[in-house]
Amino acid sequence: MTAARQGFRLLRRDWRAGEVRLLATAVVLAVTAITAVAWLADRVAAGTEGRAAELLAGDRALVSDRPIGDGPEELARELGLATTRTQEFASVVLAGDETLLTAIKAVGDGYPLRGELLVGDNLDARRVAAEGVPSPGDVWVDPRILRQLGLDPGDPLDVGATTLTIDRVVFLEPDRSSGFRNFAPRVMMHRSDLPATELIQEGSRVRHRLLVAGDPDRVEAWESQVRPSLEQGARIATPGEQDPGVTRAMTAARRFLGLSALLTVVVGGVGMLLTIRRYAARHLDRVAVMRCLGATQRQVVAMLGWKMVWLGLFAGLVGTLLGYLVHALMLALVADLLPPLPGPSLRPALVGLLTAQVILLGFALPTVLRLKRVPPLRVLRRDLGDDVYRGGGVYVFALAAVFALMWWQAGDLQLSLYVLGAVLGTLAALAAAAAVLIRVLRLARGRRGNASLLLSGLVRRPWTAVIQIMALGLGLMALLLLTLVRNDLLATWQDGVPDDAANYFLINIQPGEVEELTALLDDAGVDTTLYPMVRGRLVGINERDVRPSDYEDPRTRRLVAREFNLSWLERLPEDNRIEVGAFWNPEPADPAQYSLEARMAERLGVGVGDVLHFNVAGERYSAPITNIRSVQWDSFNVNFFAVAAPGFLDDAPATYITSFYLPPERSRLLARLVDEFPSVTLIDVSAILDTVRSIMDQGARVVELMALLTLLSGIVVLLAALQVTREERQFESALLRALGARRRLIRRLAVTEFVLLGGVAGLLAGAGATLAGVVISRQLFDLEYAFNPWFPLIGAATGAGVVALAGWLATRRLYRVSPMRLLQDADEA
Amino acid sequence: MVNDGQGSVLRADGLGMAFHGPEGDIRLFRNVDLAIRGGETLAILGASGSGKSTLLGLLAGLDLPSEGRVWVGDAELTALGEDERARVRGEQVGFVFQAFHLLGGLTALENVMMPLELAERPDPARAARQALERVGLGERTGHYPKQLSGGEQQRVAIARAFVGAPRVLFADEPTGNLDRATGARIQDLLFELNRAQGTTLVVVTHDPALAERCQRVLHLDGGRLVAAA
Repeated sequence: MTAARQGFRLLRRDWRAGEVRLLATAVVLAVTAITAVAWLADRVAAGTEGRAAELLAGDRALVSDRPIGDGPEELARELGLATTRTQEFASVVLAGDETLLTAIKAVGDGYPLRGELLVGDNLDARRVAAEGVPSPGDVWVDPRILRQLGLDPGDPLDVGATTLTIDRVVFLEPDRSSGFRNFAPRVMMHRSDLPATELIQEGSRVRHRLLVAGDPDRVEAWESQVRPSLEQGARIATPGEQDPGVTRAMTAARRFLGLSALLTVVVGGVGMLLTIRRYAARHLDRVAVMRCLGATQRQVVAMLGWKMVWLGLFAGLVGTLLGYLVHALMLALVADLLPPLPGPSLRPALVGLLTAQVILLGFALPTVLRLKRVPPLRVLRRDLGDDVYRGGGVYVFALAAVFALMWWQAGDLQLSLYVLGAVLGTLAALAAAAAVLIRVLRLARGRRGNASLLLSGLVRRPWTAVIQIMALGLGLMALLLLTLVRNDLLATWQDGVPDDAANYFLINIQPGEVEELTALLDDAGVDTTLYPMVRGRLVGINERDVRPSDYEDPRTRRLVAREFNLSWLERLPEDNRIEVGAFWNPEPADPAQYSLEARMAERLGVGVGDVLHFNVAGERYSAPITNIRSVQWDSFNVNFFAVAAPGFLDDAPATYITSFYLPPERSRLLARLVDEFPSVTLIDVSAILDTVRSIMDQGARVVELMALLTLLSGIVVLLAALQVTREERQFESALLRALGARRRLIRRLAVTEFVLLGGVAGLLAGAGATLAGVVISRQLFDLEYAFNPWFPLIGAATGAGVVALAGWLATRRLYRVSPMRLLQDADEA
Repeated sequence: MVNDGQGSVLRADGLGMAFHGPEGDIRLFRNVDLAIRGGETLAILGASGSGKSTLLGLLAGLDLPSEGRVWVGDAELTALGEDERARVRGEQVGFVFQAFHLLGGLTALENVMMPLELAERPDPARAARQALERVGLGERTGHYPKQLSGGEQQRVAIARAFVGAPRVLFADEPTGNLDRATGARIQDLLFELNRAQGTTLVVVTHDPALAERCQRVLHLDGGRLVAAA
């Protein structure tokens, strides 16, 4: 432990002497940024997941076609989780002589565990969050039931063998969001009334759900224990999985947080790269003296190594503490805009402490350990050992450290590999560009008098210039990349659920009603298109018959077992994109053509040229697939897996479907629709839309917040790291002044050099970020990337600006202090 | 040239040093034989670039010669690895340099403690304080090198050199950075401690006044070490 003690003592002395402050600052800043990001990511991801959990009415749902035994519920209770159960099935209800097919949901006390039920006393009542569930003997019903059966709250409703009283109108239930599997209007009752209805018999089709909610770790523990023993037909539903829009937003937000976190790691690493060289350079003499005084190489290594470990510990602690404060401050600033968040966990603190060690061990230690090679003879000959800490090997170690950190921080191997690839590519380009720049400057030397002097700094310190260009370029690339992805992501989310996204769907429109309904909607100024819908079963592909058992994937089996909703289209909708093949003309010569959605094609294992056989009401409709489409399912528009060219399905029995946007103040039109077209089913998705939109909004805010935090911390790290150059030009500037150079010239020297450094680094950083942005946006965020040819120039301007600012800060003092003093300082340094 | 070999604390046999230069090898010196007795004082004089500092480095085990052998006490430095030579330096050798080579971030006391700490000696602070008192800096133990004058810095360096009671002390132009009066005081201190501790003193200098105070004076001239006339 002597070495540990000596290392600690060395650190204390170094700190007092100001020797490690810059290094410590770089580590503290990197750790602050990383932990702040980690805390934000942790809590906000949990918060966003909480919002998604609302769409499930719980943190997890065990869903089964058969009654769920007591085991999973008892386990959940043992784990301290809240539980409740629901059962859903379709049944006809009676009011007097009128009947209506409804979707009955029997709920237990405590439902919903997440989110809220919005109810009202009558159709026009204000929507309020329900406290509790329907009392035994009561039902809460969908507004459509009141409208279609002409009922009011207080009226009786026969449900199976029992009669219940309509107590309230239910406007929104959190978990009734997606997949319009059950179009029938809702009747919600208490579970204790279920036996009296006598509706559930052996073989009845009932969806049983056990909802659980509580502490995330315990929920996961519950899931992992229950999952292995799931019976056939049972599955565990997780938040967000049912809503592609929300899932996409959540995945993207989480990935973006990961990206921010690991770009912070890159920037932190860059800070270290810039500072560690100065640190090593300043330690050459100290190590030589120590060696001279009898320190063995092993002693030097142990002492310096321990010093780094101690420095990592202290800087890690301080950085973690600051990171916590920064995240708390940022959350406080946007508290109103975010959902209630869970408390902070300890994980980010651990991340912080380990990050400090990894950064120091990865970046600093290889360089510092090279100091053991400083020859003791340096005490007599100062030129010896100047270059011991240089060499490419240390960067391999540093890159490995960065990659390990990235992977661990982002928890996403693919993302980490992409970013590492971008980092390596940018580094190579930067190194090459720096070498070319220096060569060009060297050739141009002496040709242009004063200008040559202005640029000579880079030529005189080529190694420093290369390192600075690489480090700056990499740091800028990380920050520009983040900005790019952020912009794309926000733009896509804003487009994702436009303000006028359809909030109502009309289904079951009979062909005879199309004209009249279209006219009614037209008169009301509602812009909409009616799509025909033909129900058909997929019975064959090419020469073979298709059976569900042909497919292993349960979802594909279900798809094949059910009837497809087929349609025909004249034009490709805006939210569809042709992936393979070509879309037909509005009036194709041969209407026998199918267009299939890309994921469906993948599931079925078919492509362009394969012939699909659909059975529609006993008739076989066979045609080849002529194109494959990708569909943006979260656009809230009507879309179909399989469509035919116009004219092909004309003889098949069709109903029509449409969706449209109706602002809330014009909701009276709905009553008219229901009155005039009683057989048409109206589905209100505005509440779901609001939830999805607010989740996306929050995702966007989080992305803004993280981007801001990463940018701020990145710039601070770079500025701090660039202070290093002050040391390097201190002596030079003093000498020039002693030789008669005026301050203006020295300032111009510095600014020219900084602008050139920053400009070149920024130019390549912009180009690197653009390329990396294309790959990352497309591959990881599934975004349409808007290529911006100006970005490299924007990068160059940003780089020149940031570096010139840093340069000005770093050299300010040089002009104020006497050359004598600077020369003395430089000597002592 | 001057080598009886018996009872010597420091001995060199056939020492030579050559460097690879752009135009072939540069031979700095060759066939240097030397033996120094315990407590003896020796000055090595020579012009700039004559290789006297290199010779000092070889004698102290800071570097290895191109040819020849060096002993400090019973330890043959030229047969030892770098770490073993470091151990010999820590135990038997002290240094005083022209540029002082104090560690900037350390106080005077901490600078003097350094060799004792490296050798893991018990209570380094007490010994270091005593050493500083002996060079007249007992009141300035908490000062940093920047806060001390050149003479004071060199006194700290001398305290650091003597604190481990080395058998041989190498001084490379110890007064080179000091004015005449301060230099004279530093010389007094060096010789006083040499007498008091019986330390062998090897001084490399081109200051004739300092050389005169040594018992023996050698010249490094044209690659050969010769006794002063």
